[in-house]
Amino acid sequence: MEHQNISSEITYQHHIEDTEFKKRIRKTTILLSVITMIELAIGLTIYTMHKGEHPSALLVLMFKGMVCILTLAKAYYIVSVFMHLGDEIRNMIMTVVVPLMLFVWFIAAFLWDGNAFRTSRNRYDKFKMEKTMQHPIKQGDTTQHGFGG
Amino acid sequence: MATTAAATKTNWWNGGKSPFNVEYGKLMMWYFLMSDAFTFGAFLISYGTIRFSQNVWADPNVVFNAFPGAGHTNLPLAFVSVMTFILIISSVTMVLAVHAGHNNDKKGVMKWLAWTIVGGLAFLGCQAWEWHHLITGEHVVLMDNHLDVIGQTTRVNPWGQMVNPATVMNALQNTPHDALVKIVGSHHHEMTEVQLAALSDSQLKGMIDTAELHVRETGPVAFGGFFYGITGFHGFHVFSGVIINIIMLVMTSKDVFTNKGHYLMIEKAGLYWHFVDLVWVFVFLCFYLI
Amino acid sequence: MSNDSTIHVHEGAVEHGVHHDGDGHHHHKQSFVSKYIFSQDHKTIAKQFLITGMAWAIVGAMFSIIFRLQIGYPDQTFPFLETFLGKWAKGGKIDPEFYYAAVTMHGTIMVFFVLTAGLSGTFANLLIPLQIGARDMASPFLNMLSYWFFFLASIIMVSSLFLSTGAHSGGWTTYPPLSALHEASSGSKRGVDFWLVSMAMFIVSQLMGGLNYVSTILNMRTKGMSMTRLPLTIWALFFTAVLGILSFPVLLSAAILLLFDRNLGTSFYLSDIYVAGQILPNEGGSPILYQHLFWFLGHPEVYIVILPTMGMVSEIMSINSRKPIFGYMAMVGSLFAICILALLVWAHHMFVSGMNPFLGGVFVLLTLLIAIPSAIKVFNWLTTIWRGNIRFTPAMLFCIGFVSIFISGGLTGIWMGNSTIDIHIHDTYFIIAHFHLVMGVAAFLGMFAGIYHWFPKMFGRYLNNTLGYIHFWVTLTGAYLIFWPMHYMGLAGVPRRYLDFSLWTSFNKFDSLNKMISIVTIIVFFVNLMFVFNFFYSIFKGRKVRTTNPWDATTLEWTTPINPGHGNWVGEIPEVHRWAYDYGKDGRDFIAQTEPVKPGETGH
Repeated sequence: MEHQNISSEITYQHHIEDTEFKKRIRKTTILLSVITMIELAIGLTIYTMHKGEHPSALLVLMFKGMVCILTLAKAYYIVSVFMHLGDEIRNMIMTVVVPLMLFVWFIAAFLWDGNAFRTSRNRYDKFKMEKTMQHPIKQGDTTQHGFGG
Repeated sequence: MATTAAATKTNWWNGGKSPFNVEYGKLMMWYFLMSDAFTFGAFLISYGTIRFSQNVWADPNVVFNAFPGAGHTNLPLAFVSVMTFILIISSVTMVLAVHAGHNNDKKGVMKWLAWTIVGGLAFLGCQAWEWHHLITGEHVVLMDNHLDVIGQTTRVNPWGQMVNPATVMNALQNTPHDALVKIVGSHHHEMTEVQLAALSDSQLKGMIDTAELHVRETGPVAFGGFFYGITGFHGFHVFSGVIINIIMLVMTSKDVFTNKGHYLMIEKAGLYWHFVDLVWVFVFLCFYLI
Repeated sequence: MSNDSTIHVHEGAVEHGVHHDGDGHHHHKQSFVSKYIFSQDHKTIAKQFLITGMAWAIVGAMFSIIFRLQIGYPDQTFPFLETFLGKWAKGGKIDPEFYYAAVTMHGTIMVFFVLTAGLSGTFANLLIPLQIGARDMASPFLNMLSYWFFFLASIIMVSSLFLSTGAHSGGWTTYPPLSALHEASSGSKRGVDFWLVSMAMFIVSQLMGGLNYVSTILNMRTKGMSMTRLPLTIWALFFTAVLGILSFPVLLSAAILLLFDRNLGTSFYLSDIYVAGQILPNEGGSPILYQHLFWFLGHPEVYIVILPTMGMVSEIMSINSRKPIFGYMAMVGSLFAICILALLVWAHHMFVSGMNPFLGGVFVLLTLLIAIPSAIKVFNWLTTIWRGNIRFTPAMLFCIGFVSIFISGGLTGIWMGNSTIDIHIHDTYFIIAHFHLVMGVAAFLGMFAGIYHWFPKMFGRYLNNTLGYIHFWVTLTGAYLIFWPMHYMGLAGVPRRYLDFSLWTSFNKFDSLNKMISIVTIIVFFVNLMFVFNFFYSIFKGRKVRTTNPWDATTLEWTTPINPGHGNWVGEIPEVHRWAYDYGKDGRDFIAQTEPVKPGETGH
């Protein structure tokens, strides 16, 4: 084969057929466009629901969840086809994908706490007066002169 | 040497070669993008955290409903979908540039790189228009029991909850002169600001139709900061991607890669560009869709 | 095939195709600048990191000396302080504002500039190419940039010390709102901006370094050097780099948002604030968000500090016990487990911040899990030296000291990992004692072990042994004398970050203890200055190394010439046939990694 050895680290080179490649790119482009259209349609559905009298919170949430899943699908196609990660050796895919799992706990913990901020903000009573009083010291208390007496 | 090596069982991890069959530069680019994903992730997750901590949040379909040249027509999501398609298409042209590089096709690389650069610049132009529109927008809001006209900045946000007509009428009475001028001015374009300023308060109030004012309370302040911060950081990535692509274009035209015998640099620039597209997918989701 | 394809002998040094482009090499005479300043040789860059780190360590320790002096003797004045510090020590008494700046700078410098850049910057650069059998890093150019970004960060941080409003004084964690509001204190003015920009440069430096370390370890290993034959130093540095790559970008985001809050009027971290007589318009942000973002880096950061020393200690202990490391795979596995857990437990620093206590419960569980891999490592170190033929070199002593301190400091981690106990001891001297022992002193001891052990490789000479023994015993004893009593003070409720406790009569009983701690601190400081003297003296006048393998070690760095040039090996890079720990095997003291396995040889 005529292609030259690019680097000593590389053992062999992929060769992708031209026609097959073009077909795959066309397919992915159409797929990404279609998913984006569906996302936009869902976005507009949520918009009309919000304009309505009593938007069902559950339904809105479900639609939003669907958009999230569709976005992940889009991300999968971009990374795997456009960035050619899907064509790499499995172990390399793992070294990129596995660390991204960290996002699960990253997102979960942060949003969980964000939600807790709201709860405490809503429960916060601006007019509450906090008072502290010295506990009456009884005879025989050994702790009055500091910790441990 | 060639593909037959893949057929025989290679022990990838024994040293002397890359366990992933990629040269170090590509590996570094991948891991750089992974760490950059955490930079963006941290931004978007912070945005989510603050959003979860608020009782109300701005409705994206109300905020982003303008289109260049369409005036006040309500076109939710229209402009951002144009931006999204621009980025997707520029990603496709980048794929084609990288592929042309694989075939050592200099003309193809240059053609597709040029189109990618055009796409990137178009996207940046769209973003500039959108920012400008949001910052200079004039929205009537209820503030401290009077009305005021504000745009979307990092310090104030006009996208709170709608105010009922009775409160609007009441607030109108407390509204100072210059705010009244601005309110009337945003609906009556036939008169200049100087002419309006000459009118008395009661004349101005008479010209205001409270039904068409759509007065809102001020919304969550963090919205503006996060929107400009995150789209700005993304725009900075697009910008640097365009610069990288221009450098690649110049290098290609000067036969740097032809002389090297391979177009691996284009591949790495391509990875960066796709990443910019990838981030936009999530920015699009977090700011415009949900 | 392997990366030794092109070799050019040039002025005694070996250069090779580290740039894998086939467009030839540019040979030119190495000037002083290209050899010692803008060098792309990983060994020179390692020395640059080490010496800059040492300079920073002296600055950082000076700060602690100054404030320890005042804490130990609250009523006394020190006129010489006014000579040096001017308005920050009027009449020879430290200004409380300066005390905060000193504490902040001490923390920042020690954690980031000394124990991150100075430690993993030094040993990753020095050891990775040498121990995996590569001629240099994957990208020597980025490696050089990594150092110079660190240098730039240093310059910015140093210049912040000379601002008229003082350096950043909100603690090394830089919590808002204190750090976000110019009005909050004089140390919250320009100093914080300098700090944030300096940290941003530092993060860039760490990323360039980390990406380089990871891709070098993966891609550039010599023939036969499979991952399970790597010395544990390399595994530890690998996980350190992974932690850096995943967590430093989050600090970058946090810093950018804080810069916006400070200078652009955004409200990411600010809400409902009344300061300097006025109500701020900021609304809706959350300071706890910053704490989450900060500790998402901050916690992995403490492992970035300790993991490299764990690797070096494993290596040095095995060599000096003349025994294979006990449980090699368990060591690798626990490094991996620590690496994962390090990224999941950040909020255990925030139990009393006002975060959701139920979320805190999950963090308690995850935090306590870290005890398992840590304990595995400790037992493996102990079993490695068990019945070993121990050579008590200074490096080995420092390793044993490391294990001792790591146990003492680590056990209290179990206390604080429980949120209920943490409520009592949070922000007291107990915390200071814990983290100074487990990540401060332990990391320093490990770093000293590494310096004593690899000094011959770096400079072709030995460090002075007698000074080394004095250095070790004073430092170890001093560390225990300084930090052990602090546990009791903390349990008694003595809060950290106070310049003067005399108002609390109940803490008066600690006065003499405080004096003792201050005196010991000063002694340890000067003994460590003696080490610095030993270091520079030995570079030029130390005993010369006469053999390529002075410690009888198996690893590849000892197969290079005594003073290796750029490219490390003259001629071919050696091939590797066995793991790094064949000590005391088949009746032989040690078998180098380069020696082929003989037929009939027992497996390990």
